[in-house]
Amino acid sequence: MVRLTIDGINCYYGSVKILEDIQFAVKSGKFLGILGPNGSGKTTLLKSISRILKPRKGTILIGDLDIYNMKTVEVAKQLAVVPQSTPVTFDFTALEVVLMGRNPHMSRFAMESKEDMAIAKNSMKLTNTWKFADRPVTELSGGERQRVIIARALTQEPKILLLDEPTTHLDISNQLEIMDLIKCLCKTKKLLIVAVFHDFNLAARYCDSIILLNDGKIVAVGKSSETLTSENVRKVFGVDTIVKKHPVTGFFHVIPISRPINQQQKSLSIHLICGCASGSPLMKILKDEGYFVTAGVLNLLDTDQETAQLLKIPTTSEAPFSPITEEAHTANLKMISKANVLVITPTQFGDGNLRNLNAAETALKEGIPTILLEDGSIEERDFTNGKATKYLTKLKNNGAITVKNTSELLHLLDKLENKNNKNSHQKKEP
Amino acid sequence: MKIDAGESHLRRVSHWKLYFVLLTGMLVLVFIFSLNIGFSHIPFDNILKILAKNVPILGDLVDFSGVSEVQESIIIHIRLPRVLGGALVGVALAVAGVTYQGIFRNPMADPYTIGAMGGASFGAAVAIVLGVGVALLGVNTVPIFAFVGALGAVFLVYVISREGSRVPVTTLILSGLTVTIFFNALVTYLKLIAGDKLHALTFWIMGGFTYTNWTDVSSILPLIIIGTAIVYLYARDLNILVLGEEQAQHLGVELEKVKKILLASGALMTAAAVSISGLIGFVGLIIPHLTRILIGPDHRILLPTSAIVGASFMMICDALARVIIAPSELPVGVITAVSGGPFFIYLLRRKRRGYTVR
Repeated sequence: MVRLTIDGINCYYGSVKILEDIQFAVKSGKFLGILGPNGSGKTTLLKSISRILKPRKGTILIGDLDIYNMKTVEVAKQLAVVPQSTPVTFDFTALEVVLMGRNPHMSRFAMESKEDMAIAKNSMKLTNTWKFADRPVTELSGGERQRVIIARALTQEPKILLLDEPTTHLDISNQLEIMDLIKCLCKTKKLLIVAVFHDFNLAARYCDSIILLNDGKIVAVGKSSETLTSENVRKVFGVDTIVKKHPVTGFFHVIPISRPINQQQKSLSIHLICGCASGSPLMKILKDEGYFVTAGVLNLLDTDQETAQLLKIPTTSEAPFSPITEEAHTANLKMISKANVLVITPTQFGDGNLRNLNAAETALKEGIPTILLEDGSIEERDFTNGKATKYLTKLKNNGAITVKNTSELLHLLDKLENKNNKNSHQKKEP
Repeated sequence: MKIDAGESHLRRVSHWKLYFVLLTGMLVLVFIFSLNIGFSHIPFDNILKILAKNVPILGDLVDFSGVSEVQESIIIHIRLPRVLGGALVGVALAVAGVTYQGIFRNPMADPYTIGAMGGASFGAAVAIVLGVGVALLGVNTVPIFAFVGALGAVFLVYVISREGSRVPVTTLILSGLTVTIFFNALVTYLKLIAGDKLHALTFWIMGGFTYTNWTDVSSILPLIIIGTAIVYLYARDLNILVLGEEQAQHLGVELEKVKKILLASGALMTAAAVSISGLIGFVGLIIPHLTRILIGPDHRILLPTSAIVGASFMMICDALARVIIAPSELPVGVITAVSGGPFFIYLLRRKRRGYTVR
């Protein structure tokens, strides 16, 4: 059982302060992830813990011992490091590199013993590198070489393993294989793992706890699920994200939402009649364009409803899997009446949501421009024995405009926006 | 049946001894052949007898008939110091080359390219011009001056070319050459002001072993033994350094200390070599490469075998220098450059993918 304590450290490169008052502790069998934007001090923190960069203030303890008071060799017996990549100049074989891991355990004149060989072999078997043990590392691929370096770290038989974005250069299968192995060692051999990550999802998948760094300070620390919230991610990275527990894997997933290019607010307010994910991409696009967007009526748990929630789009909603009630319908009509444009997405219509088309009819009568987005025949998504088709045909006949795709829609909205701006000008002038 | 990688590794390691013995045999052969080469012909059996005579106990058992005093004098006082001097310089340059390539993780590093030779030659030239050659307390001070010069040059190059925690190839070689050119200019200036010491200085700069005597040999022998022994102590550290400086520290190498010791040892051996033979290029560069191809990159075997190969190579080059335009002599530096240059280019082309030069 070992405990790694980082006690209030400040680190500098020259006169530039990189880390400020970093404080945390980890114990055996725990997997700690460090996340943060470029230049936030992640790698510096790892360097500091691995006895490369001495902090000006504060201490780093393994158990009760300050690592900067320990001998290099003594630290090497306790702590191994896997860097992002390792350029190797001379043609050492993979096995020779792995055997270098025994160095801290050997006296100056000793040759590697049978036991050293057995340990090296075991770690190479674990990392699936034994099959090319005899090949020069210079001839291995990035993934193979990284696994050799991990084998080397394991051959050190450390109690603490530090990893600096260990899988950055690897493909997805190598990534998972290596991270699974490290996680497994963490649990079975009670290794203490501190790893820097670039990838939220990898971190969320493997870490017991996560530290979020920004500008050399700890912004958040705690269990993965508590730390990786979209608020924290926005605070640290300035990026809007969707953080969701994935229904299949059960892991938290962080999905970045692309930043809007045009943030200028437009005057048009658009109401969407959508559902079954048909409106989700459109919601994001319209919001990015600067339109004010509302939607309804949507059933709770519908994908479109969830998207609207994430994008903070006001909706009228109905209980899950229930037909639209009078109450929701009225609320929806009220919402529509405030909109300048109504857009109907190519969603499926059943008896449950047919009332939305009724609302559209009302809107059109009240003179709200109505646009039908259609990407195929209506019949295929009409589950009302033709009632929906009839509604839509009627809407078209009464002046609803049909567009074939999103760019046509945006073009049309642009025109309406200009017209709306002119009108409001004219209204103001007299 | 597939051979177990661990076993094949162990087998390779067990071959080390074999290589070592074979190469030592080669060294002895080259040594005796070198003694045979010269203006007056001395047969091999006489050479062996002369050598044996000077070994205690063994000397009393040798039948010494047929060996003239002149022959003995030529071997003992002229050829032997010359051949031994060549062998020692070969050892020194090869070991220094291995050391520098290991520390800088750079196959282009050698005593010449990183400036050690330039610094050493300036130091040696200063000693010669000041005329303190053997004057100071009966100790040959040329190697000491050369050592100070080499040490200064190496640390200068290291400081200039260091970028953060690594030493990139291009800046290393560039700063090495810059420092070399700088010191060469200083040596040229020394020639101008040398006065009556110009003759001695010019002979020394031309390089080679033509005038190497027992004083030279005995003054550099301890330096080379000490230097090689120190480097050998850190052979495993040199292996680990191939993974980079930070990883070496993570594996328990006391980096700053080891680096200083190794840089200084390399400078010591370069200085020893330069002080008796002037500037001899390419040996420190090609011998480590050649040996690495023969037996692999592990410094625990690379160092001793490079020393042997370096000694043999230097003795062969010096022998060639003596015979090619006999009775005149070529400077040995010409031979090493002419034979080493093309060979090195060949190595570069052949082994290119083996080196990840950053």
